[in-house]
Amino acid sequence: MMKFAVVFMLVLLLAPGLATAETSKELIENARAFDGGQVTLQGEVIGVMMRGNNAWVNVYEGGYAIGVWVRAEDARNISFIGDYSHAGDNVLVTGTFNMADPEHGGDLDIRAENFTITAQGAAILRTPNVIVVAISMILVALAIVSLVWLWRIHKGEEKIAPWPVYWR
Amino acid sequence: MIPSLRREDLRIIGFNLSKILFIVSIVMLIPIIVAVIYGEFEIIPHFLIGSSISVILGSITHHYWETDKEMELKHALCFAALTWIVSMLVTAIPLWTTGSTNSYLDANFDTMSGFTTSGLTLVPDIDHLSYSINFYRHFLQFFGGIGIIVISLTVLSRSELSSVLTFKGEARDIGIKPNIVRTARVILGIAIAFMVIGSVLFTAAGIIEGANLRTAIFDGVNYSMAAYSTGGFAPHSQNMLFYHSTLYEVIALIIFLIGSFNFSFHYSILSGRRREIFKNIEIKTFFTILLLSTLVISGLLLFSGVYSTPDVLFRKAFFQAASAQTTTGFGTLYPVQISTIWPSTVVFMMAMLMMIGASANSTAGGIKAIRIGVMVKSFVREIKKALSPRSATVETTYHHVEDTPLTETVAKGAMLIAFSYVLLFIVGTTITMLHGYGMSDSMFETASAVGNTGLSSGITSPAMPDTLKVTYIFLMWAGRLEIMAVLVLIGFTILGIRRGFRK
Repeated sequence: MMKFAVVFMLVLLLAPGLATAETSKELIENARAFDGGQVTLQGEVIGVMMRGNNAWVNVYEGGYAIGVWVRAEDARNISFIGDYSHAGDNVLVTGTFNMADPEHGGDLDIRAENFTITAQGAAILRTPNVIVVAISMILVALAIVSLVWLWRIHKGEEKIAPWPVYWR
Repeated sequence: MIPSLRREDLRIIGFNLSKILFIVSIVMLIPIIVAVIYGEFEIIPHFLIGSSISVILGSITHHYWETDKEMELKHALCFAALTWIVSMLVTAIPLWTTGSTNSYLDANFDTMSGFTTSGLTLVPDIDHLSYSINFYRHFLQFFGGIGIIVISLTVLSRSELSSVLTFKGEARDIGIKPNIVRTARVILGIAIAFMVIGSVLFTAAGIIEGANLRTAIFDGVNYSMAAYSTGGFAPHSQNMLFYHSTLYEVIALIIFLIGSFNFSFHYSILSGRRREIFKNIEIKTFFTILLLSTLVISGLLLFSGVYSTPDVLFRKAFFQAASAQTTTGFGTLYPVQISTIWPSTVVFMMAMLMMIGASANSTAGGIKAIRIGVMVKSFVREIKKALSPRSATVETTYHHVEDTPLTETVAKGAMLIAFSYVLLFIVGTTITMLHGYGMSDSMFETASAVGNTGLSSGITSPAMPDTLKVTYIFLMWAGRLEIMAVLVLIGFTILGIRRGFRK
């Protein structure tokens, strides 16, 4: 009996982490079905906006991002916001899903009850592609040569209007 | 009998297109500044490749097709239509080579969407797009919103006649200044001023709403360009939802409403003619339609139980209706929500708003409010005629910057353009439905493409069929040029193929 109780307690404690996370696509496309229910979303942080004691954290998963309303202290623990040069922190969110939250202007959102950073993000180092650089240099040289060639042929022929003046 | 085409006709068009290639090559260099600021040095070669190809093609066409002949109307219309195609093809290069889109076709879709200020996008991962490429997309919208030809005229114009014709080919009014080049420069000046004001406001709002300074500034500039050009691109996949902010949406609303007004109207107001706001037929028609449709949409959404409070109805019903009618395409809800949680009547009304559009000679698309106003007035005139004695003459005028008599020609012109848009809408909807999409979604998406809006019911995605991508590219292009230039180009091509080009 004691063993059963311990297992039961462990399940309750780990439930948010063990629950199958919904995908953003599922939540957005079936918003009516999920409205008002508990959902779990796991994804990358791509935006954080502090709003007093709370914050908006935009969580990206599978091509869609959803706004999650969290406590400010949770948002302050976020180290990396995902963009071109950063992989954002990976977070696991459990909370109430709203198809049109009346307190947030009718936005589709999740009000987080549990917000866990499961993996810290990192900076992404990107290096130039040598072949692309070489092609670009050749094309730039050709472009300059073609312009000089054109300029030498048509020197003095073109008459364009003077540069824009707005105060006349 | 239409006379056969000559090789000189091709030279005139080609020679003028070479200048567009030079302008576009400079456009591709500007995002390099952003790449340097954000340390994206690996992206710079891609812009250099696109720009260089444009310069090389421009130099070759400039040299081999050089001519001093003036453009006639047919050349101007073909030139205007081809300008958008050529610009699309070359500016797509950096988007494609950086891997920002899945294919060159997708890159072309996005650049056409950018230039036409549509806002539909096939970029699969906007949230992880490089800053310079993201800026580039918005800059293309701003550039296209003002008008590729308008910008070209401000720096390259040589003769008044050619300029007037090409200006009209791009579906622009010429009535701001007596000189066309000065008109183009006034338009450019107004647009840059509002873009700067918008950038400051958006940046301030971003900071107030808790974004970090770097994000607030970058987003501020991009949202401003997209809002003023009534474009609808956004630097985040969530579009306006990213900020979860009424303040941000109010600023967007103000900027895109201003962007959707006629440049002649802007000039009148800036010249001190404030009464124009209350007298102008285009402004009156636009706001009447917007307010009536907002009331109906709000009512339908309220009764369907989706939204319940006034602030929610403002952010969802009014904002979306204004975004649709100004053909901006900013969204405060996910595209798929439009078809899944909104009643189909609202979806249909939104499609109609996108088709109606805002002002002529502005950054907006659609049939345009002035044409709707003129058509309504001419209907009323016909009713008055029917009720009047046979000997009576019924004369009607309308006010658009100045009082203008409503002639048969004006009324017929408005109806012809409206009919062409409806025809494009029917064809586009049918083609979309043939790809297996539902009627309501197909109508919505087609109206968005034809009206250069950018709101989506979820059809537009990288996974959509290539044939549909090509269809939407055509619809965006034809819609932006108000069809006529495209039809003349098609006629020109058919004539050239059938009879050849004489020496």
